Amino acid sequence: MSDRFERLGWKSKAFDTLNALFLFALMLTMIIPFINVVALSFSSGVASMQPEIILWPKAFSAEGYAIVWKSLDIWRPFMNSAIVTVIGTALHVLLSSLAGYVFIYPRLPGRRIMLTFVLITMMVPQEAIMIPLYVVNKDLHLINTLSALVLSGLVSGFSILLMRSFFLNVPYEMAESAKIDGAGEFRIFLTMYMRLAAAGLATVVLFEFVGRWNMFTAPVMFINDSMKYTLQVALKAMIIDTNSNSGTYMVTTNVRMAGIIISIIPLLAVYPFVQKYFMKGILLGASKE
Amino acid sequence: MKVLKRYGALYVMMVPVIAYFLVFAYYPLVKGLQTSFQDYRLMGDRPYVGFANYSAVMHDSMFWDAMVNTLVIGGGILLFTFAAPLIIALSLNEVLRTWYKKLAQMVLYVPHLLSWVVVGGIWIFMLSPDSGLVNMILVHVFHRAPFNFLADSTWARWIMIWLATWKEMGYTCILFLAGIVSINPSLYEAARIDGATRWQQLIRVTLPQLGNTMKVVFLLNTLGILRIFDEVFVLRNPTIATKVDVLMMYTFQKGILDIKLGPASAASFFVLLLTLALTLVVRRVTRFDEV
Repeated sequence: MSDRFERLGWKSKAFDTLNALFLFALMLTMIIPFINVVALSFSSGVASMQPEIILWPKAFSAEGYAIVWKSLDIWRPFMNSAIVTVIGTALHVLLSSLAGYVFIYPRLPGRRIMLTFVLITMMVPQEAIMIPLYVVNKDLHLINTLSALVLSGLVSGFSILLMRSFFLNVPYEMAESAKIDGAGEFRIFLTMYMRLAAAGLATVVLFEFVGRWNMFTAPVMFINDSMKYTLQVALKAMIIDTNSNSGTYMVTTNVRMAGIIISIIPLLAVYPFVQKYFMKGILLGASKE
Repeated sequence: MKVLKRYGALYVMMVPVIAYFLVFAYYPLVKGLQTSFQDYRLMGDRPYVGFANYSAVMHDSMFWDAMVNTLVIGGGILLFTFAAPLIIALSLNEVLRTWYKKLAQMVLYVPHLLSWVVVGGIWIFMLSPDSGLVNMILVHVFHRAPFNFLADSTWARWIMIWLATWKEMGYTCILFLAGIVSINPSLYEAARIDGATRWQQLIRVTLPQLGNTMKVVFLLNTLGILRIFDEVFVLRNPTIATKVDVLMMYTFQKGILDIKLGPASAASFFVLLLTLALTLVVRRVTRFDEV
């Protein structure tokens, strides 16, 4: 790669500089809004309503966080989201892995039919069947329960195919020899494949974690009891719906921005550590479409 | 019998997955089709009414507004989330310093991790006329009057397109970068020996070699057009509703809020059929099968 740029003339250097500046400008459009949000969230309520804060808080205070957490009880939707995300992700990964494992057996009778069965579900967007899905959830008495949100997208063709492609990298001979030693399928699956495909698992866990944490359509449809609101729905009511004066507290800008920060902390906390898995997952996912 | 004994455990593993798909994917699909032909009431019998729901939807001007909005906004998003990531990927590929490349890639990807509520919340504030950053820049740097972007129906669609691009470009960019990495290095070598400049290498080697990746990205983005919901739901307000309410918003309004499940199901099936039609068209046009 490096020899590609060996003879750098001035034109090439100018090109490099312009290119770097272009990317820098782009990055600024991503970074500045966040710094602005952080600065506002740490300003006092009155100061945050003035058009002066850009990159640094004014009248530094953490009252926004205190109000949003305690007085506006955002911890309740936060916990609801956490429960749905953790349980939902765990089940999603388990079920998708099981199916992914099944599909690595090329000579399994009925494999083609099952694969087609799974692939068809990928063609029908969840959104296009949201009305009948609502009816199904209603008939199963799931409306206004967190179970409806755990069940929404409990398994997906995308994850199944992704797990399968990770499992295919596990040497088949290992499973073979374990089988000769008398290990059952479940044991081979749990003790060998799930461990050896840990990187793949991390990818699917992350996709699902982010997806469930950010899930919006399903809670908007299935939940209207405010005690069962998830974080995204509560946030929408708090930061977006106008004249949202929740109870006695006027929702000032610093409170809204504190809500945003609280909701993205779990995502930003995990992202840097798993970025490389993430990239790998996106690529595999796209090429297996 | 022998098959069951040998593979029994594998079939057991598939049971929950198949059960899930049957209840939450196939059954709703059939149920939705059925509902679309019924006068669906929550209580009592549900008589079949033929194509009445479909014709009700077809004669609803709101539906056609939603259709136009979907095609305009979706089409805009399709084009911009195709072009912008392509340009960025090419630009990233020309960056010489690895750390800078990695940093840029990481930063550009972050908005994709955030929900539309968060992205919407941030930008509604950034674009607000009295204290938003964008208007502060307009006022202090360009000496223009503050402008209420999200309350102006001529700008509303553009803002939907622009924000979707902002949010998703880092994600699509990764797909293009992967395509670039897999280009055979000897092609560049040959080009260099022939005296090609970096710009010429970019135009003559990188771009043509990315053809297949472009097709994949285009197909994936096309499938997303009709599914736009969260963004509009979060960013809409009564002033701009007629310009931005998309098909999914129409279905949601009809089905969940007005509880008219028949027409809502009919509208859903239009969306489903359109998705299939769009997929087929794009596959044809891009000759996806020949990849």
